[in-house]
Amino acid sequence: MSAQKKRTFKIEAFKHRVELDPKYAERTWKVLEHAIHEIYNHNASGLSFEELYRNAYNMVLHKYGEKLYSGLVTTMSGHLKEIAKSIEDSQGGLFLEELDRKWGDHNKALQMIRDILMYMDRTFVPGNHKTPVHELGLNLWRDNIIRSGKIQTRLLDTLLDLIHRERTGEVINRSLMRNITKMLMDLGSSVYQEDFEKPFLEVSASFYSGESQQLIECCDCGEYLRKAERRLTEETERVSHYLDVKSEVKITSVVEGEMIANHMQRLVHMENSGLVNMLVDDRYEDLSRMYNLFRRVPDGLSTVRDVMTSHLRETGKQLVSDPERLKDPVDFVQHLLDEKDKYDKIISKAFNNDKSFQNALNSSFEYFINLNNRSPEFISLYVDDKLRKGLKGVSEEDVEVVLDKVMMLFRYLQEKDVFEKYYKQHLAKRLLSGKTASDDAERSMIVKLKTECGYQFTSKLEGMFTDMKTSVDTMQGFYANQYSETGDGPTLAVQVLTTGSWPTQPSGPCNLPAEILGICDKFRTYYLGTHTGRRLTWQTNMGTADIKATFGKGQKHELNVSTYQMCILMLFNSADQLTYREIEQATEIPAPDLKRCLQSLACVKGKNVLRKEPMSKDIAEDDAFYFNDKFTSKFIKVKIGTVAAQKESEPEKQETRQRVEEDRKPQIEAAIVRIMKSRRVLDHNTIVTEVTSQLQSRFLPNPVVIKKRIESLIEREFLERDKTDRKLYRYLA
Amino acid sequence: MHKLGRGHRDKVQQFMAITGSSEKAAVQALKASDWHLEGAFDIFYSQPHIRTVTDSRHLEELYNRYKDPYVDMILVDGITLLCNDLQVDPQDIVMLVVSWHMKAATMCEFSRQEFIGGLQYLGIDTIEKFRDKLSYMRSELKDEQKFREIYNFAFGWAKEKGQKSLALDTAIGMWQLLFAERHWPLVDHWCQFLQVRHNKAISRDTWSQLLEFAKTVDLQLSNYDEEGAWPYLIDEFVEYLTENGIVQRPQN
Repeated sequence: MSAQKKRTFKIEAFKHRVELDPKYAERTWKVLEHAIHEIYNHNASGLSFEELYRNAYNMVLHKYGEKLYSGLVTTMSGHLKEIAKSIEDSQGGLFLEELDRKWGDHNKALQMIRDILMYMDRTFVPGNHKTPVHELGLNLWRDNIIRSGKIQTRLLDTLLDLIHRERTGEVINRSLMRNITKMLMDLGSSVYQEDFEKPFLEVSASFYSGESQQLIECCDCGEYLRKAERRLTEETERVSHYLDVKSEVKITSVVEGEMIANHMQRLVHMENSGLVNMLVDDRYEDLSRMYNLFRRVPDGLSTVRDVMTSHLRETGKQLVSDPERLKDPVDFVQHLLDEKDKYDKIISKAFNNDKSFQNALNSSFEYFINLNNRSPEFISLYVDDKLRKGLKGVSEEDVEVVLDKVMMLFRYLQEKDVFEKYYKQHLAKRLLSGKTASDDAERSMIVKLKTECGYQFTSKLEGMFTDMKTSVDTMQGFYANQYSETGDGPTLAVQVLTTGSWPTQPSGPCNLPAEILGICDKFRTYYLGTHTGRRLTWQTNMGTADIKATFGKGQKHELNVSTYQMCILMLFNSADQLTYREIEQATEIPAPDLKRCLQSLACVKGKNVLRKEPMSKDIAEDDAFYFNDKFTSKFIKVKIGTVAAQKESEPEKQETRQRVEEDRKPQIEAAIVRIMKSRRVLDHNTIVTEVTSQLQSRFLPNPVVIKKRIESLIEREFLERDKTDRKLYRYLA
Repeated sequence: MHKLGRGHRDKVQQFMAITGSSEKAAVQALKASDWHLEGAFDIFYSQPHIRTVTDSRHLEELYNRYKDPYVDMILVDGITLLCNDLQVDPQDIVMLVVSWHMKAATMCEFSRQEFIGGLQYLGIDTIEKFRDKLSYMRSELKDEQKFREIYNFAFGWAKEKGQKSLALDTAIGMWQLLFAERHWPLVDHWCQFLQVRHNKAISRDTWSQLLEFAKTVDLQLSNYDEEGAWPYLIDEFVEYLTENGIVQRPQN
C-alpha cells in the first residue's frame, strides 16, 4: 500500500435553512395550550410530561419562544380571569376559602407548567429579559386576582374584619388566615405591605386608640396596665400564628404608642391608683408591669423616674422638716433607713435594679437629708444609740448590716465634718461612761469611716480607744505599785486622755473633797513619775463616783453620781444643812452646772437624797439643802443623773456649729494656698470652683467664706490682686 | 521780659505763680503754646520735671523752724505752725498731697529726710514758694492717675504704725475728705453701712478696691457683677443698699 494523501474532512452546515413549518409551530402550541387548559381543569393525569416537554423544547429551539411565551401569558391570564369571577361570586364567609383553594390550585398548576416549559425558562427567558415562568405566574395572579377591582377591597376588608372580630373575642380560622397572608408574602413583600400590612396597622391604631380612651375612663392604673399588657401579648401571638414575623415589631409599637405613650402622664398621675400610690403601697407587681411597659416607649422610663424622684423629694422634705419627728433623733434616722430600704426593695423587685433609678434615689436622698442641718448630729446619735444598747443580742452579721446601712446615709451628708465632731463627742461619752455594748461593733464602725473618708478622719477616734486601753494598764500598774495603799480608802479608776484626741470641754474649777485628794495626788505622782514632761488636769466635769450612804433608818444605799454631785454630797458629812451659796463657795463648781446637779439631787422623785427648802423646782441663791434622812428606794444601788448623749440644746448646738465653722476656715485657706501654689495665677471664680471640689468630701464650702479667706490671705501677703485685672489673683512666693 | 507785651507779661506772671517755675521756663512754655495758658501748662507738665535748684541752707532753716525740740522730726506742733505759715487749715486735703510728695510714712509727722527730700523734689526752699505751689498741688487731685496714687497712699499714711488695717473712724474721715474732691454720691451710705454692720478696721484691699468700685459701678448698681471678685464688704454694701431700698437694682 502506498501512503495515501491525507484528506481533511470538512463538515459543512446545511447550505439551506431548515425551517420549521409554521403550521407545525401552531400545532405544537395548540398541544401545549390544551395541556394548560387540562391542568387548570384538574385533568393533568392524562398528559404526557415527556411529550409536552419535547414540544416546548422544539418550539424554543426553532425560534418560536416568543410565541410560546406570549401564548402562555394569554392562556394563563384567561384562566385567571375565570378564577377571579368564581371567587368574586362566592358568598360571605366562603370568599376566603375559595380564594385559598384557587390559590392552591394555581400553585400546583404553575408548578407543572413550569416543569413543562423548563427549557424555555432556562434559555429563552434570560436571553430575552422575560420574567421567569414561576414569577410570571405569581405576577399574573397578583394582577388578575388580588388586584382586581372587586377582589382587592373585599379581601382587605375581610381580613381586617376577621382580625377585629378576634380582637373582640371571637374565634376565627387562623390557619386560613395564615394561608392568605402567606400568599400575599409569596407575591412579594411590597404586596404584603401595601395590600395588607399598612392598612392593618392603621386600622389597629384607631382600634387601640378607641380602646385606650375607653379603658382609661373606667379602669384604674393597675387594671389598665394589665389590659395593655394582655393586648401586647395577644398581638405578638397573633403575629406568630398568621402574620409575617416582620410585622411584630410594627404592631407592638402601634399598641405601645396608642395604649401607653399617649396616656403616660394620665396613667402615672392617676388619682388613687397612679405611680405614687403604687410606691406607697409597695405594689411590686403593678410597679414591675409599669416598668416593663413604659420602658418600651420613648421617655417612658424617664417619666416614671421623674415622678418617683419628685415624690421621694417631697416626702423626704416633709420628713426632715416635721417637728414631731425631729423630737426623737433615733426614730428620725430609723425612718430614713426604713424609707431607703423600701425604695431599694422596689428598685430591685420591680425596676430591674435599673441604675438610673438607683441614681435618682441617691440624689433625692442627698437632697433632702441635707435640708435639715441637724442630720449629721442625728445620724451620730442613732449610731450612738445602737452602739450603747441597741445591738445587744443581735448577731455579728446583723450588726454589720445595720452599720452599713447607716454608712449609706452618711455618704449622703454634705457636712461630713459636722458629723465627725458629733461622733467624737458621742464616742467620748460612751467610752468614759463605759456604755459601749460591743467593742467589736465600735471598731467596725471606725473601719467603715476610715474606708469612706480616709485615715485623717478616724485617727483621733482611734486615739481615744488607745487611751482607754492604756489607762487600764496604767491603773493596773498603779495598784500593783507600792504607792497605793490598801485599806478602806477610796478606790480610784482613772482614764488618762490625750488632749488632742478627745473633744475639748474645758473643765471648770472644782474643789475635790479631802477624802479623795490623797489618792488623787498619789496617782498624779505615780503617773508623772513614769511620764515626765506631761501635764495632768482633772476633768471634774466628766467623772463619776460611787458613794455608800446610810440614811435615817439605817438603810444603806450605794449612790452612783457624777464627780460634781459627789463633791456636793460629801459636804453633808460635816453639815446637816447648807445653803446654795455655801455649797457654791465650798465646791467652786460653775453656777449652771451646780444648779443642774442640785436639781437632780433634790428635785427628782426617787432620787432625792437631798431635801430642798423651799420645794420649788428652780434653784435660788438662798435655798437651803438638807440631807434627806427619809430617802427610800427599792434598789440598793441608786443611779443619779447619768451622762448620756442627748440631743443638744439650742445654745450647745450653736456652739458646736460655730466650732465647726472655725475649723473650716484653716481647711479652706490650706486649699486656696495649695491651689494657688501650683497654678500661680487664677481668677476668682476658678478658685472657688477648685476649692469646692477639693473639700467636697468633707463639707460644702460657702463661696462667701472662701472670698473672706482670700481677702485674709491678701492681708497676710500670701496672695495679691493682679495690677491690671482685678479679678485675678497671684501667688506670692 | 521787657521784650514781651503787657498781656504776655501777665501770663508769664500767672504761669510762674501757678507752676512755681522760673521765668525762662514760663516764657518757653508759653511761646511753645502760642501764649495759651492751658496749652502752656500741658507742655510744662509733660516735660521732664525741670527741677529748680533749691538752696539747701534755706531748707535746713525751714526744717529747723518746724522740728520738734526733743526729737529729730516734725511733729504735730510743727505741722500746725507750718500750716499757719502756709495759711492753710491743717485738715485741708492739700496737706495730704504734700505728704504724698514727701512720701511721708505716717500722718502728723515728717522725718527730716521726708521733709527736706520732698521740698527739694518740689523745688521749694522758702515758705513763699511753698505757698505758691499749693494751688498746683490742689490741681493734682483732679488728675485721675494721681488721685488714685494719692488715695492708695492715704491708707498707709493714715493707719497706725505697725498695724495692718486702718481704724474705721480714721478711714471714714479720710473717705469724707477724699470723696469731697472726687464726688461719689454713695460715700455717706458707705460710711453709715460700715458703722452699722461692720464696725471693724478696714483692710488695704478693701480700701483700694473701693475706689475701683466708685469709679466703675454706676449709681443704680446696674453694672455691678456679683461674680466680680469684689471684696466681701462691698458685696455686703450692695446688699445693704438694695435691702434698704436706697438703690433699686434693675431685676433681670
